[in-house]
Amino acid sequence: MSEQAVDERVQVPQWLLQKELAMCPCGCIGKRKKGGYLRKTLNGGAGLLRQVMFSDDTARQRGLLQRVDPRVKFLSMIVLLVAAGLARNIPTLVAVYAVTLALAAASRLPVGFFIKRVWLFVPIFTGIVVLPATLSVVTHGDVVLTLWHWHGRAEGFTSQGLTSAGLVVSRVAVSISLVVLLTLTTPWVRLLAALRSVGVPRIFILIIGMAYRYIFLLLNTVTDMYQARTSRTIGAAKHDGGARAFLGASGGALFGKANQLSEEVHQAMTARGYRGDARTLQAFRLTGFDIAAALCCAALAAAILIGDHFLGN
Amino acid sequence: MHIPDGYLSPQTCAVGYAITVPAWAVAVRRVQRVVRNRHVPTLAVLAAVSFLVMMFNIPIPDGTTAHAIGATIIAILLGPWAAVLAVSVALGFQALLFGDGGVLAFGFNCANMAVLAPFVGYGVYKLIAGRSELTAPRRALAAAVGGYAGINAAAFAAAIEFGLQPDLFHNAAGAPLYAPYHLDQTIPAMMLAHLTIAGIAEGILTGGVVAYLQRANLPLLRVNHAGVAADGEKAAAPRRGRPLRVALGAVAVMAVLTPLGLLAPGGAFGEDAPEDLDLHKYGLSAVPSGLNKYNGFWHHALFDGYDFTSDAHPTIGYIVSAVVGIAIVGAAIFLITAAVRWAAARRGATRRHETAEQS
Repeated sequence: MSEQAVDERVQVPQWLLQKELAMCPCGCIGKRKKGGYLRKTLNGGAGLLRQVMFSDDTARQRGLLQRVDPRVKFLSMIVLLVAAGLARNIPTLVAVYAVTLALAAASRLPVGFFIKRVWLFVPIFTGIVVLPATLSVVTHGDVVLTLWHWHGRAEGFTSQGLTSAGLVVSRVAVSISLVVLLTLTTPWVRLLAALRSVGVPRIFILIIGMAYRYIFLLLNTVTDMYQARTSRTIGAAKHDGGARAFLGASGGALFGKANQLSEEVHQAMTARGYRGDARTLQAFRLTGFDIAAALCCAALAAAILIGDHFLGN
Repeated sequence: MHIPDGYLSPQTCAVGYAITVPAWAVAVRRVQRVVRNRHVPTLAVLAAVSFLVMMFNIPIPDGTTAHAIGATIIAILLGPWAAVLAVSVALGFQALLFGDGGVLAFGFNCANMAVLAPFVGYGVYKLIAGRSELTAPRRALAAAVGGYAGINAAAFAAAIEFGLQPDLFHNAAGAPLYAPYHLDQTIPAMMLAHLTIAGIAEGILTGGVVAYLQRANLPLLRVNHAGVAADGEKAAAPRRGRPLRVALGAVAVMAVLTPLGLLAPGGAFGEDAPEDLDLHKYGLSAVPSGLNKYNGFWHHALFDGYDFTSDAHPTIGYIVSAVVGIAIVGAAIFLITAAVRWAAARRGATRRHETAEQS
């Protein structure tokens, strides 16, 4: 994405991008209250912009993975995801996680940010979700820590349950790390071109590329509608039928605007000679560095599978 | 409901892609036919809208908020095939840009939310809306119920995908390798949240948008409702179900429900083998002689006891039996529908003939 395009996008006011001081995330001081739907939607939009803009920054730095051809990176990610998916031992997955951390450091990603981005939400959420599965009530097996007795039978954490929980959480963390490594080190446009050259049909690439552009335009429309509503609202936003009617109306208005927009875009494309297909520039050239990276990835995947096999089932 | 990588085995993920890739191929062809070379801008803008719809926080009556996936509303406005592509692209953004939903699991995420949800939602909408006018309140209600059904169908499918993992993939000690919960735990957990909160959010959004468009933007609603009357216009003749389509629909519904057989505890009443009978319970001293004589009268079933590997691979045997059974029942439905259509056409022809003779 060019500098100009980045600048064009920044239309959400700066105060929305900054986290407000002395305010809890639900957006109120003093008494605890659930955040209103208006504020949540506005914050969601601002968070989206912040995240995408930061990805563009890190992708432009000069690190190890930024130098690798996006096609090689994409295919390597898939190969490693499958290898991690097939691993059956926690030590294997922990080792792969250590490799992703090393790669993040070598690619000049802030390691603290990388860890937070990976662990916040999905793996922690997964940990909470699989917690009950460590108990003998869900996963039967050898009880290693007895918590209570039921009809004379010991119930508690089972070794099978703990193994399973450890496997799932570490596998989720490794998988997300691999995807985040790819997206933080590859500019979005280059990633799309890579998808095209690994066989994703051109129509999908066109749709994805244009959709990405219009997300930000329509995001502005949505935040404008919601901001207009908040500025007209005195007191707290109510959770009533009026709020739901406003939501239906703003959804309907968004569809109407989008429909009109697609008509206009199509007319503009036709005026510039669009006839239903498009040509893309293919500027990728594999270098020795890329081939070395691909070989490293293949070796790593083989090491994961062979090492895991030796650790046993 | 966005399944991250690591919850499903790579083998399961391959099945997800096997379902979704043909759906994408058909969707591209269908959409190209409907909107011709306008499909790229239309779908791109729709995908962006679908992505943003997932950001709308919807106030639920109990004071919480939830977000919808918006698959059904897109299906109502531009047809289910357009919804397949738009929601898939939106899910792709979430997987790649925000780590919400896995890359390997993308196939199943699309199968649930971009294929199953719009088709179920749209089907329910069409069923309830019937031939009512375009501006009828019944259509807004049908849209709300359709949205509710669509998201719940997607959640149900996700629960089945999770719940099959521990039975199919575990290590030698019996520790599940992927999602650890069984069907009898995943189905209540997923359905409770979706029947009460997420489903209502989707229903409010879908119904609300249709109600708004009925008041404010009827042309947009008319794009996918050619032949539906609005305010006293004359409606076009309805389309009859084609035998192949009816048969495939029935087969698809059964295929989705197949894994439920694994849930059932014990056996059905009256289906026990004679040696399993609890004689004491029924006050009997011996197995009745007639039962003994005629039990096992027919021993030549292809899949005896839903199995053909003599219990070496019970799961595979069960699944193969299910697939064969579905195919046979599907073929039977196809023949019945074809016969009904043939009879109707014949009757119509006779009637036309008689009218011609009278005049």
